[in-house]
Amino acid sequence: MTVSREQVTEALREVFDPELGLSVVDLGLIYGVEIDADRVRVEMTLTTQGCPLHDSMTEWVRQAVGKVPGVVDVAVALTFEPPWTPDRMGQGVQP
Amino acid sequence: MASPPAARSGPSPLVPLGYLTCAAVAFVTAAMGIGWLAPDLAGHYYHPRLLALTHTVTLGWITLAIMGASYQLIPIVLERPVWSERLARWQLGILVVAVAGMVAHFYFGTWPGLAAAAGLLTVGVGLHLLNVGQSLRGFTRWTFTARMVMLGYSGLALTTLFGLALATNRVFPFLPGELFPTLHAHVHLALLGWITPMIFGVAARVYPMFLLGPVPGRWSCRLQLWGLVLGVPSVLLGLIGAPAFLVPGALAVATAAGSHAWWVLEVARGRRRPALDWGLRFTLTATVFILPAAILGLSLAADLLSGPRVALAYAVLVIGGWVSLTIVGMMLKIVPFLVWYRAFSPRAGRERVPTLADLSWPWVEGTAYALLTGGVGLLGAAALLGDVAAIHAGAAVLALGALAFALVLIRILGHLSPRFQKTPAALVV
Repeated sequence: MTVSREQVTEALREVFDPELGLSVVDLGLIYGVEIDADRVRVEMTLTTQGCPLHDSMTEWVRQAVGKVPGVVDVAVALTFEPPWTPDRMGQGVQP
Repeated sequence: MASPPAARSGPSPLVPLGYLTCAAVAFVTAAMGIGWLAPDLAGHYYHPRLLALTHTVTLGWITLAIMGASYQLIPIVLERPVWSERLARWQLGILVVAVAGMVAHFYFGTWPGLAAAAGLLTVGVGLHLLNVGQSLRGFTRWTFTARMVMLGYSGLALTTLFGLALATNRVFPFLPGELFPTLHAHVHLALLGWITPMIFGVAARVYPMFLLGPVPGRWSCRLQLWGLVLGVPSVLLGLIGAPAFLVPGALAVATAAGSHAWWVLEVARGRRRPALDWGLRFTLTATVFILPAAILGLSLAADLLSGPRVALAYAVLVIGGWVSLTIVGMMLKIVPFLVWYRAFSPRAGRERVPTLADLSWPWVEGTAYALLTGGVGLLGAAALLGDVAAIHAGAAVLALGALAFALVLIRILGHLSPRFQKTPAALVV
């Protein structure tokens, strides 16, 4: 089964920042998605370094993407380069 | 892909929640006490019962709230783990006993007991400074926030020692100079040396984070920092024995405060957050109180206005308006998050759990907002007039607002109990 970028993006839209009530996609926290057959790598950031949701948010992303049909393995990499700014909101998933 | 830096999670949410709950109890107690002490408030502020009220607010409410928030925020704003949670818990117990002791001994005017309670308070504050100091050992990223936090903790240490000296002086007189200038210096060291830099510093990190706003130019932060660094010692010198320093010092502090207000306005104007919740409305409204407070403070420093009535109105606007409403607003942001993190975070991703908005109680928060902001304004005007009936009215509005705030907190904290964790309408997957 082929995993599409759209499926992964839709799955990521279900992961919300609980304080802001916005999805990680709408917040512009997803810096990149790489799909290699049944394996998905997500590069993402957080709104601030030292965010108390550091561990939780990456786990939620891993679990949400893991529910996409055909996905066998999910790797989530957290980066703070470049740091997130509000200007990234609404830019969706970066290419 | 870049490897993640070692961002660390905070301590158990129960540590800051313990502090914040005790602080809220002190806030409600103080709000109730204002009505009880209305006849005293219509007179001179130097009265043992009013000193009890003042310390319920400054130590029980403000200091415990800042300390509790710092255990949650140090890992976020300074990106360092808290050194010892156990020490933080011990410290809370010591501080609660010390503050209760100080308030009681002030109220009844028993000075040896006051000195003993002040000594215990010094131990509690010392443990907090030890914990923070160890948490920041080897810290090198001296951002604006980090500098302000360090300034604030220096102010806390000096204020505590100053207070201990004043309490000891009641039993064994040794301090030189007149009573009131020394007392005014102690109050301003607490307000401008401890509370103000902590609010400025933490705001610089968390306001843009909560509002999803831009970070305005660095010059504003420089003005805030240097305004306090130069202004606070000058104000203290001016109060204690070198009057020529008072007005320049007050001008420097007013410049810092004005710059902070402008900075908050810029963040709010450029915000991307779709809607303001009540916590943020409290915080932004609190900033508005800086303007009348700064005008009164400058007028007092320049001797354009004088007397206990103006001084009391100034205190109401600064402590009740700017500081207290800021803390109420931040608690309405921090407490739901801590409760959510404790109760729901482990289940998020596996099952549907509420968002933070589901934990809030908007109409009661709105009621608290109307009553507390209105009550502070009314009480400030009543204190200026010195009218007992007006003080009673302002105090009643304020007390109702404090009760509404307490109700909101009780409901939020109730989610820690599985009994109250109902299926929410909106969910985080």
